Amino acid sequence: MSDLLDISILIDYQDVYWKGFFITLKASVFALILSFILGVIIAVFRISTVKSLRWFGTAYVEYIRNIPLLILVFVFYNGLPSIGVNLDSFMAGGLGLGIYTSAFIAEAIRAGIQSVPKGHVEAARSSGLTYLQTMRFVVLPQAIKIVLPPLGNQFINLVKNSSIFGVIAGGDLMYQADIINSETFQTVSVYLFVALFYLLLTIPLSLFVNYLERRLARAY
Amino acid sequence: MIRFHHVNKHYGQFHVLKDINLEIQSGEVVVIIGPSGSGKSTLLRCINRLETITDGELTVDGVSVGDRKTNINELRRDIGMVFQHFNLYPHMSVLKNITLAPIRVSKASPKEASETAMYYLQKVGIPDKADAYPSQLSGGQQQRVAIARGLAMKPKIMLFDEPTSALDPEMVGEVLDVMKSLAKEGMTMVVVTHEMGFAREVADRVIFMDHGQIVEEGDPATFFTQPKEERARQFLSRLNH
Ligand SMILES: Nc1ncnc2c1ncn2[C@@H]1O[C@H](COP(=O)(O)OP(=O)(O)OP(=O)(O)O)[C@@H](O)[C@H]1O
Ligand SMILES: [Mg+2]
Repeated sequence: MSDLLDISILIDYQDVYWKGFFITLKASVFALILSFILGVIIAVFRISTVKSLRWFGTAYVEYIRNIPLLILVFVFYNGLPSIGVNLDSFMAGGLGLGIYTSAFIAEAIRAGIQSVPKGHVEAARSSGLTYLQTMRFVVLPQAIKIVLPPLGNQFINLVKNSSIFGVIAGGDLMYQADIINSETFQTVSVYLFVALFYLLLTIPLSLFVNYLERRLARAY
Repeated sequence: MIRFHHVNKHYGQFHVLKDINLEIQSGEVVVIIGPSGSGKSTLLRCINRLETITDGELTVDGVSVGDRKTNINELRRDIGMVFQHFNLYPHMSVLKNITLAPIRVSKASPKEASETAMYYLQKVGIPDKADAYPSQLSGGQQQRVAIARGLAMKPKIMLFDEPTSALDPEMVGEVLDVMKSLAKEGMTMVVVTHEMGFAREVADRVIFMDHGQIVEEGDPATFFTQPKEERARQFLSRLNH
């Protein structure tokens, strides 16, 4: 029983854990930014009045969010070299994770924008505001309240999903944990400790989202 | 001021507006009545291009509404609109609701816009609500704010789409009073309403629509006492029950 949770692993391998932690952090930030930018673009496509853009947005969302993340990452890591594009594991994982998450983010943003009553848009447009002004002053400030909770969830999922890097030798927390495990065979300890490092990322993120939600709730 | 010339509108296969011919003069108050689904809102919403017409010609102040070259945002400055469900922006105070378009569209300074807003809030009788949020107001107060918001752009025309239909009965009067005083001051108004008392008292002309057509029009005294068309007679007799 004494070696079920062997603290010496954490101490002996702390440098390895931290190395993985920072790569996970870097990968998450990269994928988060990418997924947010792509998500906004796809959401705009989804609510566009141009039929072909709407169609593309829908196809993108439905395709991406209904396939396993692992497939996307493998396509970038193992598939692209066959057509002459070689991505390192960071880029392959980051692109796969970012694109995967962007489908969920696009849906969250679209739902938030569409939750704003059409009448508000009509009132704004009929007073002479342009489409962009209407978005900026009337729609988005209301939508953000609706979008924030699911967006926060998606970002937390993204951090957890970054463990996919472990499968493509990405050097992240999961990858380092596998290495430590193969050296020590203290499986339970190794993975429970690595979980703590994930919590170090996800709990502050979750608290931050809660804080923003509370602030917005007080706004009106 | 507003001129429909052989205007038609379709929603897909559905012919909503059928050969509409209508001229509204500056300063005129026109009330549109008719059964549900007859196309009253659609007609009104074509005037500021919230709906586009399929064919025919529609001009406001000599400017073609449907023309691609027309700057629609510029045209819309001159046309205020009041909706059944108020459509105030819930995340903004009353004052911000009213000053948004003057500041962003007419490029008024915030100070100037606030002064104008206060002037119109005074006029609709609720200057003390400037800092309130829409959710803190009664329906009647919200609708009066919506009217003040429309007026703050100093429009030439005001459109009203059933402005009192979503209100509790005891609040209808306060909104109609504001509209009456507006009419007296010579505002050009097009009003879709079921308030026949208002039509009788304030309208210069009543338009009766049914199935996308203007079936009858005339001055209220004649229309309400001696409607010529059978469909108008039926509609009025149903209202009186
Ligand atoms: N976007 C739309 N697409 C298809 N049909 C529509 C659309 N908007 C309205 N219609 C139809 O057009 C007809 C006229 O609608 P409109 O709203 O102008 O009627 P209305 O006279 O204002 O009725 P109400 O008194 O109920 O407000 C209705 O039959 C309605 O179902
Ligand atoms: Mg209507």
